[in-house]
Amino acid sequence: MNVDELVRDALRDQADGQPPAAPGFADRVLAVRRRRRSRRLASAAAAAAAVVAVAVAVPMLDSGKQDVRPSGGVEQTGVTARPDQSPPRDLIAAGRVALAAYFTRSIVEQSADRAVSRRTYWLLNPKTNKYVKDDRWSYVAVAPGMTTAAVLERDLPVPRIGLLDLASGQVKRWIPVDRPVAGVEFSTDGRKLVATTYSKNPDRRVKIDGSEGWDAPFMQSDRTGFHVIDVASGSSSWAGVEIGGGAHNPEVFINSRQDFAFTRDGRLVWSGMPTEPGEKFYDFTGKEVPAPELERYRDWSVDAGVSPDGQLVAGPFAGQKWKTSSFVLDARTGKQREVRGQQLLAWADGNSLVAWDIGPDGNEYHQRLVLVSIGGEKTTPLSDFRSPKDNTEGRWEPVFAER
Amino acid sequence: MDAEAQESFREFVANRSSALLKTAVLLSGGDRHAGEDLLQNALIKAAGRWHRIDEPEAYVRQVLYRQQVSRWRLKWPRRELSVAEPPETSAAPDASGAAELRLVMRGALARLTARQRTVLVLRYFEDLPEAEVARILGCSVGTVRSATHRSLARLRALAPELAALGPAAAEQRPSHDYSPVEVRQ
Repeated sequence: MNVDELVRDALRDQADGQPPAAPGFADRVLAVRRRRRSRRLASAAAAAAAVVAVAVAVPMLDSGKQDVRPSGGVEQTGVTARPDQSPPRDLIAAGRVALAAYFTRSIVEQSADRAVSRRTYWLLNPKTNKYVKDDRWSYVAVAPGMTTAAVLERDLPVPRIGLLDLASGQVKRWIPVDRPVAGVEFSTDGRKLVATTYSKNPDRRVKIDGSEGWDAPFMQSDRTGFHVIDVASGSSSWAGVEIGGGAHNPEVFINSRQDFAFTRDGRLVWSGMPTEPGEKFYDFTGKEVPAPELERYRDWSVDAGVSPDGQLVAGPFAGQKWKTSSFVLDARTGKQREVRGQQLLAWADGNSLVAWDIGPDGNEYHQRLVLVSIGGEKTTPLSDFRSPKDNTEGRWEPVFAER
Repeated sequence: MDAEAQESFREFVANRSSALLKTAVLLSGGDRHAGEDLLQNALIKAAGRWHRIDEPEAYVRQVLYRQQVSRWRLKWPRRELSVAEPPETSAAPDASGAAELRLVMRGALARLTARQRTVLVLRYFEDLPEAEVARILGCSVGTVRSATHRSLARLRALAPELAALGPAAAEQRPSHDYSPVEVRQ
C-alpha cells in the first residue's frame, strides 16, 4: 500500500463515520446570519424591540415643531442634523422622530467567569436640547413626546419601574412590580408599558469555550413573561410565556435578552426569536396568537418596524441596488422595494427613515445616522461617524422617540 | 433574502449539508464542532448571494476550502486541533492492522496545518486533478504539487509507522516549487 492510498482510505473512513447534519441546520445558519448582519449579540436584541416600540407610528403627528429646535442646527424640511457630532451633543431629529437618548456599552467584570454588559445612557434634556449623561439607569425607554422616560435601576432584574421627568432629572413616581423586570417599552400612545420579566440578569456575560472575550450565554434565557402596566394608575397584570425549547426541542431558543414590545395598535405584544418563525405574538394573558395582518412581515432585527400609516414594514439588509441598502415591504403583500441605508432605525414619516449607513471608506461598522427616502437616491447625514470599536464610548446606540 | 430564496436555501441545506459536513470535518482535522462552524460560515456566505449563485454546491465547497486556507494565513491558532496523544507514542501496528494504520493516519492528518490538510483532502478525498485543486485554491499547479509533496513528507515525519508504506506518485517526482500556498482573495 502506498501512503496516498492510506490517506485516501483514512479520509473516506473518517467521512463515512460522520453522523448527518442536525435537522434545522438551515434555520440555524439563517438565524446566525441575521444576527451577524446586524452585528447584534444577545444583549442588543432588546434594544431592537425597544426602539420599535417607541418608533412605531401614530399617524397625523405634527412633525413641524419649530420651537424645539436649537439654532445652529442644519435644518431642512423638519430635519435637525449634526453631521459633525459623534456621539451627538445636541438634538438630532427628522420628521416625526428625534434621537431621544443614546447609550454605550461596557463590560463590567464581576468574577473570573462572570461579567455584565452595562449600558450608560445620555438622555435628551427637552429644555436645553442637549444630551446629558445619566448613569443611574441600566435600561431606559422614552415615551412619545419626549418628556418622560421609564427607567430601570442598576443590577437587573429590578422590582420597580421609575417614571423619570426628563427636564428635571427627577423620578416622579415608582411603579412596583411583583416579578422583577429587566426591559420596558411604551405603547405608541404612551399610556401603557410592557415590562419583560426575567429571573436572572439578561445582560450577563460568560466565558464560552474557544472565545477570548465575554459572550452572552448562548441559547439560554431566563425570561419568564411580561407585565402590562397602565401608566396612569400603575395597575398591572403579569403573563407567563414559556420559551418552548429545552433538551427535547433544542432548535427553539431565544437570546439571553429578548424583550417584549407592543404591536402598533397596542392590543398585543410580540417578541422576536433567532429561529423560525422569527416573531411571535401574544395577547395580554400570554396566549400565543396569529400575527396581525399588517405586522406579519415585521422583522425583530430591524428597529424601524411598521410605518406611521401601517402600510409599510422596514425590512432587512438588501445590498442589491446599492452596496448598502435595505428592503421596505408592503405590509399586506410583502412586496419588496429597495431603499438606501444599511440598517433602518426609525420612520421619519410615511416615506422616509432614519438609518445607519457607511461612508466612503466602506467599513461596514464605521457608520453614521442618515435620512433616506423611498424612491430617493440621496442620503442626508444626521450625525458624524461612530467608532467601529465595540464597548467604547465612541460606539453609541440610538434610542428614538416620537417628538 | 426573500421567502422563495429562503425556501430554496433550506432545501439545498437539507439535501446537501450532510455531504458538505463530511468535507468540512475532514478539513478541520476530524473536529466535528470546528467542521460545523466552517460549514456554517460558508453557508452564511452563500445565503448572502443566493440569487446570484448558479451552482450552490460548487460555490459552498470553494468557500470551505478557501476559508480553511485563509484561516491558516490568518494564523488562527485555536483552529488547529490539539490531539491529546501524539501519534509518535503509539505502538507500531501489526502489518495486517489496516484499521489501526488508518487511525494512525487520522491522528497524523489532524496534526497537519490547515493548508496541508486542505490540499490532501482535495487531492485524495475529492479526487481532483492538480489543475482543479489549483483553480479552487487560487494558486499555481506547481504550488499544489509542492504542497502535496510536503504534506505527505510531513505525515511520514509525524507517524514513523508509515515508513513501511511505498511512496505516493506525488513523492516520486521532483518538486521545484517550494513557495508557500498563496490564495487570491
